[in-house]
Amino acid sequence: MSIAIAVGLLTAAAVYLFMQRGMVRIVLGFILASHAANLMFFAAGNPAYRAVPYIDGAPFEEQADPLPQAFVLTAIVIAFAITMYMVTLAITTTTDDDTENDEESPAKVLYGERRPRPVGPPADAGISDTGDTEDVAVKGVSTESGEIAVESGDDETGETK
Amino acid sequence: MTLMVLLFLTLILVPVAASFHQVLGRDTGWVAAVSLTALGLMTLPWIGPIIDGRVYEESLPWIPTAVDVNIGLRLDGLGMVFLLLVLFIGALVLAYSARYFSPKKKTSDYYVWMLLFVFAMSGMVMADDLILLFVFWEFTTLCSFFLINRSGAKAPAPAQRTLLITMAGGLGLLTAVLMIIVNTGTTQLSAALQHEIWQENGTFTAVVAVLIAFAAFTKSAQFPFHLWLPDAMVAPAPVSAYLHAAAMVKAGIYLLLRFAPVFEGVMIWQVILIGGGLITALIGALFALQRHDIKEIMAYSTVSQLGFLVATIGIGTPVAIAAAIIHVVAHALFKSSLFMMVGIIEHESHTRDIRELNGLRKTMPVSFFITVIASLSMAGIPPLFGFVSKENLLKGFLSAEEEGIFGPGLTWTLTLLAVLAAVGTFAYCGRIVLGAFGSYRGVGKKDAGYDDGAHQPIAEDAAHEAAPAFYLPALLPAVAGAILGFIPFVFDGLITRATQSASTSDYEPYFYLWGGISTDLMLSAVIIVIGLIVVLSRAQMDNLIPRTILPWTGVAVAEKMRTGSIAFGRKVGDSTRTDMHGLHLTAPGIFLVGIFIAGIMAAPQIGDFTEGHTQMIDWVLISLMAIFLIGTVVSTSRTAAVVLVGGAGFMVAAWYFLLGAIDVGMTQLLVEILTVVVLVLVMRKLPKKFHPVKRSRTAVAAVVAIGFGVMAFVAAFALTGRSGRWTEGDGDRAPVGEAFLTHTYDEAGAINTVNSILVDFRALDTFGELTVLGVAGFAILAVLNSAFSTSDNVTPASKSWVGTPLDHAKDNTTAMRSVFNWMAPFIMLLSLILLMRGHYESGGGFIAALVLGGFFALRYLVAPSDSSVKLRFDYAMIIIGGIIISAAIGLAGFVEGSYLRPIVLFEGLPLPWGTESGFTLTTALIFDLGIYLAVIGAVLVALDRLGQAQRYPAELLRAHRRAMGQKTGEVSTVEPDYAVDPGDLPLEVEVGNAGRDDQSTGEGVDSR
Repeated sequence: MSIAIAVGLLTAAAVYLFMQRGMVRIVLGFILASHAANLMFFAAGNPAYRAVPYIDGAPFEEQADPLPQAFVLTAIVIAFAITMYMVTLAITTTTDDDTENDEESPAKVLYGERRPRPVGPPADAGISDTGDTEDVAVKGVSTESGEIAVESGDDETGETK
Repeated sequence: MTLMVLLFLTLILVPVAASFHQVLGRDTGWVAAVSLTALGLMTLPWIGPIIDGRVYEESLPWIPTAVDVNIGLRLDGLGMVFLLLVLFIGALVLAYSARYFSPKKKTSDYYVWMLLFVFAMSGMVMADDLILLFVFWEFTTLCSFFLINRSGAKAPAPAQRTLLITMAGGLGLLTAVLMIIVNTGTTQLSAALQHEIWQENGTFTAVVAVLIAFAAFTKSAQFPFHLWLPDAMVAPAPVSAYLHAAAMVKAGIYLLLRFAPVFEGVMIWQVILIGGGLITALIGALFALQRHDIKEIMAYSTVSQLGFLVATIGIGTPVAIAAAIIHVVAHALFKSSLFMMVGIIEHESHTRDIRELNGLRKTMPVSFFITVIASLSMAGIPPLFGFVSKENLLKGFLSAEEEGIFGPGLTWTLTLLAVLAAVGTFAYCGRIVLGAFGSYRGVGKKDAGYDDGAHQPIAEDAAHEAAPAFYLPALLPAVAGAILGFIPFVFDGLITRATQSASTSDYEPYFYLWGGISTDLMLSAVIIVIGLIVVLSRAQMDNLIPRTILPWTGVAVAEKMRTGSIAFGRKVGDSTRTDMHGLHLTAPGIFLVGIFIAGIMAAPQIGDFTEGHTQMIDWVLISLMAIFLIGTVVSTSRTAAVVLVGGAGFMVAAWYFLLGAIDVGMTQLLVEILTVVVLVLVMRKLPKKFHPVKRSRTAVAAVVAIGFGVMAFVAAFALTGRSGRWTEGDGDRAPVGEAFLTHTYDEAGAINTVNSILVDFRALDTFGELTVLGVAGFAILAVLNSAFSTSDNVTPASKSWVGTPLDHAKDNTTAMRSVFNWMAPFIMLLSLILLMRGHYESGGGFIAALVLGGFFALRYLVAPSDSSVKLRFDYAMIIIGGIIISAAIGLAGFVEGSYLRPIVLFEGLPLPWGTESGFTLTTALIFDLGIYLAVIGAVLVALDRLGQAQRYPAELLRAHRRAMGQKTGEVSTVEPDYAVDPGDLPLEVEVGNAGRDDQSTGEGVDSR
């Protein structure tokens, strides 16, 4: 009963976060969803038995089922790895982790569909430039690049104006 | 020597040749040729006993399941004929390869695939197990695919078409094989063929006959699957000579012969084989007369000859079967020689087009001689071997009447069709010889560009003769064909046995060059006379034969199917491809609804929970968890949400401890800490607040979320945690859980059942999970090394403490750093202890690795700057090392029978853990060490690559590239071109010439 309630709560929170904007909230939702799934395994193992399942460690009649525990143990570590991967996706975007900014969507930028830059000084001005793709992005820029003068607005990329 | 040894030696030849290739380059062909000749000679002593009626049989268990699948080998007369062809023709072709390829060309993979093909083909003709037969059959297909695929930029499409067609046939064979195994109850080929079901169950026999014929038709390029063979001519000449003339296409013939005894007199078998075979023989000859590329002519001639063979097998009389077998030998000799000659002609004159080839008769006299002998043999001119075999083919057709299978009318119709195809053979032989070596151009009024000046003949003295080492391998089979014509009776004994293997009679064929005047001799004379007339009036013929018969070609159809199937796959994928991530909930939602409905249906009969199912403390945890969850959901601050999710995770971890899952609880706790650390490190690169969403959207999300939550609750409530009423036994626990609790100690010597399940009982499963972990680690690396990047969002708020004591990172971390320095050795020691004692107390590779990961995280938190904790070693290698250790130690399990089975290494070690008999070191601990390393590697990837500020503002990057003199906006996009090759990625972006060669060492940039 209690685990079923917890599974329901975690699922609801996870789904709510999935439907928000921004990758980080999706990642958090994923973490909660993995909790729900893991607890489900324990529910299947019958939580009425709660003694540690070590040989001779507790009365045999009260020992918990070790199989769900083994499943969940590896599942936790795998979920961790996947979480880290999703976090990686969250920070490898043009500006932030937004999942819905049509203008900045990587597919648009890569296919070269450019739109007029919004008027005003948005924080991410100039990022929609199509130049910074693929290999050049991370490697190859040394610390000295910080000293290169950045002239914002001096954009030669021929965006449609 | 036994059959097993022979097969093993052909396999061993692959690595041996590959290592020779390091030194010898293309000359490896000689080594391979000598080796195959030696193997061939070693099989010769078997011929005597086989003629005397002996059958060699050997068997090793392979998959001893309900149906015993064995590596069963069996060599009878039929297998012997094909084995000799495979080995000796293989030796010739490999010797030829040594001079065919230019020394500069990369040939290492060529020799590997060719020799693997020898192995596969030898295995196939000796296989006495249906599964093994199928495996080798598919193996030859794969070798063919790779050999075609490697030959240049134009090769992949034909290679894929070939693969699709032959693989389809392979599926037919698989279906047939499975039906036979199910219906006869044995996987042994020879036993299955003896089964009485073939006579009793007509439907079964007919279905299997169709499937076998289908498989053989695709492999042996029979109408309507003939198109792949000319298509495959993009492969180099030796591949064509061996796979597509002598050996692989004969696999289909072998299969038909092998199954011929059980299909004797089966109507549908005869109809398919005779009909399909004769159509193929006729259209093959017709197409050969249309073409100008001598290699294409050769390909269609092979198609035509194979059609002859298939039709003869369809006749099915012992005379016909014997004729088919001897023609297999004759065809392998003359056709391999001819294909090798095509390669030589192309080599020496740089063209294969008969419109261009000119005067080679004078410049290449030896080549001319070889080609003429081989072609005359193919045309069936006495006294060559091809004449003998063709005579026998005609005899085979005529025997249908003598044996009473067909009436005289049908027999003569079929025979005359065969005669017509033979006339075609004669005609295209003339086309090859006169076209390649004379000035004959083979063009008629129906040719496009009939006299537009394209394809001008080359100068008479442009070509020159090949080196003897080059043409010798082609000369040998041609000369053998000439000599064997006089002594065809040397094959009597072997082909007698082969015929008896491929039919149910005791017929003993006798081969001779001259047997007096007979019907078939008359027919041969007719063929030669009409053939001569056709060749002499070749100019009129060229005007008569249309160049295109149908408005579409078979290759185009196959190409449509290939691209169509790929495009269809893309369509299917599109249905789950969306930019609206909320839609990805659809599929899980559907499944959840399914479980929900199951829960509702089960509700009336679920019964009570086991007593003690829900305890007081649970409600405390749930209340706390609910608070954390609500906080997470409503929070607009990223950092707050991350911390709140961590709090919910701690509640879950605490619950695990209460549920008796110490190991799981520890794992959860450590993972939760690491997750929060990494997320907080990452958060500083993102805005502080989440993106705002519309109120209406929040409402929709809330409704959907509550719906999902309720369904999950109902399903979990109704379907779990009850007494085991649906399981056997009277306990409330699952029997499998009880089994682990009862047997773990006896079987694995472990006390910690959870760890034991991970490393002893379900080690393969764990190994798979390790691999997933490693892949995730590498995916992170790959994405970070190649993706877009953004600037760290340095918010004004964070600048407010610049100049205050809070900004002194080094001073502020001093206290923690000294604690860390003091604690560090203990954390490492703790990690090692947890790893060692996993079998006995809570711990194990996963937990130990996470503890060490915690050590690195702590090292991070106390560091004054990111760059000062930059790791100096390669964590990718740690992941690989861990996976390799786990995989390698699994091999030790074979000592006691199976992969990953734990083996006891030492007993009674004096360590503080263990049972009363002391600490037992098994290979399971080494496996756990592999887990340990892989998990550490993955954690380090996350911490080191995500935790560090190493991304660049796009402005900086652009400025940098401008400074490097590169254009900044240079992104050429390639639109997906489905018509060309939809197998390629739809998105190909090329970024100028920047990047790749510009990989400086500065991986980490501390942009603070």
